[in-house]
Amino acid sequence: MPEPRTARDTTVRIVPKHHALVRLTHWANVPLLFGLIASGLAIYWAAPVFVHAWNPATGSRDYLADLGIAVARLVHDDHAATWFYDHFSIGSGMLARALRLHWVLAYLFMVNGALYVIGLAAGGGWRALAPRPSDLGDALRMMRFYLGVIPMAILRRPWPHPPVRSKYNALQRAGYLAMPVLGALVVASGWAMHKPSQLGWLESAFVNYDGARIVHFACMVAFAGFIVPHVCLAIADGWDTLRSMVVGWSTRIKESAHG
Amino acid sequence: MDDVTPEGETPEREPDATPAGAEPAPASDAAHEPQAAPGAPATPPDAPADDAAPAPPPAPRAAPVPRAARPIEPPEIPIDVPRGRLSAQTRRAFLLFTGGVIASAAGAWWLLPDATRRRLLPDGPRADLDSLAARVGLARANRERVLDRALTFDDDVAEALYSPNRAVRTYARDQVTPLRNNYDGRTPGPEILDGWALRITGLAAGGIVTLTRDQLLARFALREQVTRLVCVEGWSAIAWWGGIRFADLLAAFPPAPGARWVAMRSSVNLDARGNPDPYYVSIDLGTARHPQTLLATHQNGAPLTLEHGAPLRLLAPVKLGLKNIKAVTDIAYTTPEPADYWNERGYSKYDGL
Repeated sequence: MPEPRTARDTTVRIVPKHHALVRLTHWANVPLLFGLIASGLAIYWAAPVFVHAWNPATGSRDYLADLGIAVARLVHDDHAATWFYDHFSIGSGMLARALRLHWVLAYLFMVNGALYVIGLAAGGGWRALAPRPSDLGDALRMMRFYLGVIPMAILRRPWPHPPVRSKYNALQRAGYLAMPVLGALVVASGWAMHKPSQLGWLESAFVNYDGARIVHFACMVAFAGFIVPHVCLAIADGWDTLRSMVVGWSTRIKESAHG
Repeated sequence: MDDVTPEGETPEREPDATPAGAEPAPASDAAHEPQAAPGAPATPPDAPADDAAPAPPPAPRAAPVPRAARPIEPPEIPIDVPRGRLSAQTRRAFLLFTGGVIASAAGAWWLLPDATRRRLLPDGPRADLDSLAARVGLARANRERVLDRALTFDDDVAEALYSPNRAVRTYARDQVTPLRNNYDGRTPGPEILDGWALRITGLAAGGIVTLTRDQLLARFALREQVTRLVCVEGWSAIAWWGGIRFADLLAAFPPAPGARWVAMRSSVNLDARGNPDPYYVSIDLGTARHPQTLLATHQNGAPLTLEHGAPLRLLAPVKLGLKNIKAVTDIAYTTPEPADYWNERGYSKYDGL
């Protein structure tokens, strides 16, 4: 940028958005989380934690298997008992393989998480994630906006976006800050299960062994619960937003006065 | 780089650019900070005027905001970048991105178990994809090597975490939970108890030592402990055990010098059809010497049932349940690492908790 401008040069005005490490680790999370969930559910199959009394009719005591059985009946699939695990994990009856995959991906996920935190610190991106006092009210305004955006489009009534002068709106900020927190929690509960004797203090932090399993499972659900709206909103927001996570900059210049 | 101005919507026509990374001029600082300030959901009073104003006054209107009032997130500063260089960077970023997508897809296919691949794709396309993957080095043998390496790495991490002096958490007797019989095959019948004796080899004194259950219980003190048994499958159970300390047996019958491992074997183990299927585990001597590692003979204050490993089983609470071999018949102290039943079936051979 310091080079002098020649007559033929044209410039583009951009805003730097994401540090290279943040972008790299963001996209690396896609295959890693996908693989961790697929192998994790195959591990969960071996000893589900959310169970009911044995049902002789379905041969199941696992709520996730029940869900699969219900779907399999609807679509007339013969493999009802394993339908859920055959469609949402690498498969049933392959615990050893699932464990080995899970360890490979879990170590990569931890390295990825560390690189992400370094990227946040190096690029100053953490500042945009830091919560602020106005967040609660702003988040409620954003929720109201999202709830109304489709009805108002149908009614053809103006429905202005609440003003946002920071990099993210309050809802985005809460969601994006929740990701590293959730990542730390999923890693901690994973270690609590993996080494409950040597890391007994960590196991106790989750009350007991099953507590760590439940938290680990809940983290997976929370990741999935974040990813679905995140992908929808990022696509809805348009090419500039998607591109910014690849190239690191945006051409969308915020106007300070009305965001 | 131009100073950011609220009305800077036509960057191409901005006449001058200053070097990137330069601090924003005080004028811009003063103009922006109040608006970006946190905790101000209401619009600052001068904002509507700003909105309507054609351009901000060139001179500072207010004194610089004190440091305490600075927002944690500074306002975004646009920079002007030559179009050519931006295109080159964009091209490079997207090439890297595409490379990453291809590498991830290839890696994912490579790592998938064969059974999963069979479910996902019909034979023809699957064979094509597999041969394509093998051509770039993503062959099955390499996959197993990588996954085994990861397992060994995880074992090394576990070994680094392990401390011989760290006791496993114990529980009160009223915290005991139901323990399932997880024999992989058929549970052995009572005939295994007739004439049962523990054979010990690999001793410093040489030869074979044979000890009956009564001899073991007469010679060594019975210890009791309530610990959690954790299965590799993910379930766990708190159980009240009684037995002799493995360390006591080791002290009475020391292993040959140089021995580092215990090969424990149940020759009476059965497969699902009831045919002999000997079960064997490898235990390092350190684990055997752990004060909470028992050769258990009792559960819930009564002799072990056949379901839970009568007449004698290993109880090593620092290891996963699959190492806690039931109905032990043979103990051999060895220098090389002995074979392990579940390790041969794809599980870790360390299995430390």
